[in-house]
Amino acid sequence: MSGFLEGRSAIVTGAGQGVGRGIALALAGAGANVVIAARRAETGEPVAEEIRDRDGSALCVQTDVTVRADVEAAVAATVERFGGLEIMVHNAFGGRAGRSHRLEDVDDGMWRGFSRTAVWGSFYCAQLAFPHLRAAGRRGRLVLVTSPAGIEGSANIPIYAPVKAAQRAMTKSLAREWAEHGITVNCIAPVAETPALLGAFEANPDLRERVTARVPLGRIGDAERDIGSVVVFLAGDGSSYVTGQTVVCDGGSFTGL
Amino acid sequence: MTGADQALGRGLAVALGRAGADVGLLAGDLDEIAGAAADVEDVGARATRLAAVFETRPEVEAVFVEAARALGPVDIVVHTAVDPVAVESAPLADLDEDRWEAIWEGTMRSSLLCCQAAFTQMAGRGGRIIFSTPTVSMSGAAGLVAYTAAVEGQRLLAKSAARQWGSQGITVNCVAPAPAAGGVDETGGRAHLPLNPPPLGGPGDPETDLGPVVVFLASDAGHFVTGATISLDGGVWMAP
Repeated sequence: MSGFLEGRSAIVTGAGQGVGRGIALALAGAGANVVIAARRAETGEPVAEEIRDRDGSALCVQTDVTVRADVEAAVAATVERFGGLEIMVHNAFGGRAGRSHRLEDVDDGMWRGFSRTAVWGSFYCAQLAFPHLRAAGRRGRLVLVTSPAGIEGSANIPIYAPVKAAQRAMTKSLAREWAEHGITVNCIAPVAETPALLGAFEANPDLRERVTARVPLGRIGDAERDIGSVVVFLAGDGSSYVTGQTVVCDGGSFTGL
Repeated sequence: MTGADQALGRGLAVALGRAGADVGLLAGDLDEIAGAAADVEDVGARATRLAAVFETRPEVEAVFVEAARALGPVDIVVHTAVDPVAVESAPLADLDEDRWEAIWEGTMRSSLLCCQAAFTQMAGRGGRIIFSTPTVSMSGAAGLVAYTAAVEGQRLLAKSAARQWGSQGITVNCVAPAPAAGGVDETGGRAHLPLNPPPLGGPGDPETDLGPVVVFLASDAGHFVTGATISLDGGVWMAP
């Protein structure tokens, strides 16, 4: 397989399904060596297998992003296997994201469920990838996957918004902090067909129509072709002068930036 | 008024007092807010001092009940408290878990508890919640990764709360002071903050420059504004 990310290595967290899987497939399609960092090997291994079946290069490392040592091990495995780490993509989110709740009912345990994967996971991924991204010089990339809810707020899942917003601010601050090393730091805010969304559609047949009706492009994004392709751009040389930004990949619903 | 022991909270408290509000002043150390209380009383309002550390929900709820007992129903909550640790500059590579916990979780915990205790007081009756969120969260700042994450977290907590509690007559907004007015050391340009000079000068006086906007948001005139962030930095940060 050849592509403009040939010879570069990427970690994608939460790559066992949904958006993360789409990003991993797209990066591998562009020639990158991809580490599938999935909380469960039984979802991560098939994605690595799928990439290898397409003649790509992939490795699955079981990783819980809320555990520092796990992220450390994923980074070490990447460097050992592929000789470096140029692209870190933190996508994992395990915080019962779809469950609606009332802000007045939120307790510490519920908060931590959202905070640990999104924000602490970003902290670990950024901090532990940093020495390698710095060594990669102008090819170093950090991409955090946030959400339109992190910009607009959310009436249904109110505490999803602050943790996703925190990732946007981290992106802006790290873009400024790491600029001297040539590392770029960006966010994407996707709306895509994920197992969670498809499950919600199954449970509520009207929902697909209502969600799609809000999207000017008239369809819900495909994780590989519509979302992964944007990450491929952010991971490559063509985006070297783009940093601190959020690319909203949602078919045109949110236009407030 | 949380953070009444800092210049920002003290100035905003006086502005609210001047507009006719009685003000409950919250801080960790009551001695640190004696001056703020005297200032509020000097403009003809009542002031009460309350010790609060924002660690647990029962504690914060109790402080708000105490405020209501002293001054009457709580109509306006302004959250300006910031842990001095949060605004100390350090590269991400040097941050340890304890520091991340203190800055990110500490800031979010106090903000969430403050919102929840405000909701308990205002549910069914309406009210105003106002956060101070310095513009650094919107611009980003080198050396302040954890703090800017927390401030942006506060800003989106406000938006979610605005969406969820609007039907109860509660508005939730943010005012964004210049970094220096919010207690942020601009670290001599190393933060790579936007270089535009403030057209109106800066960073602004909490009581006379920022206070009137907070009074507006807190008043009946502000009843149709919610989920908004108003930059109060003299015109540096103009997005959107």
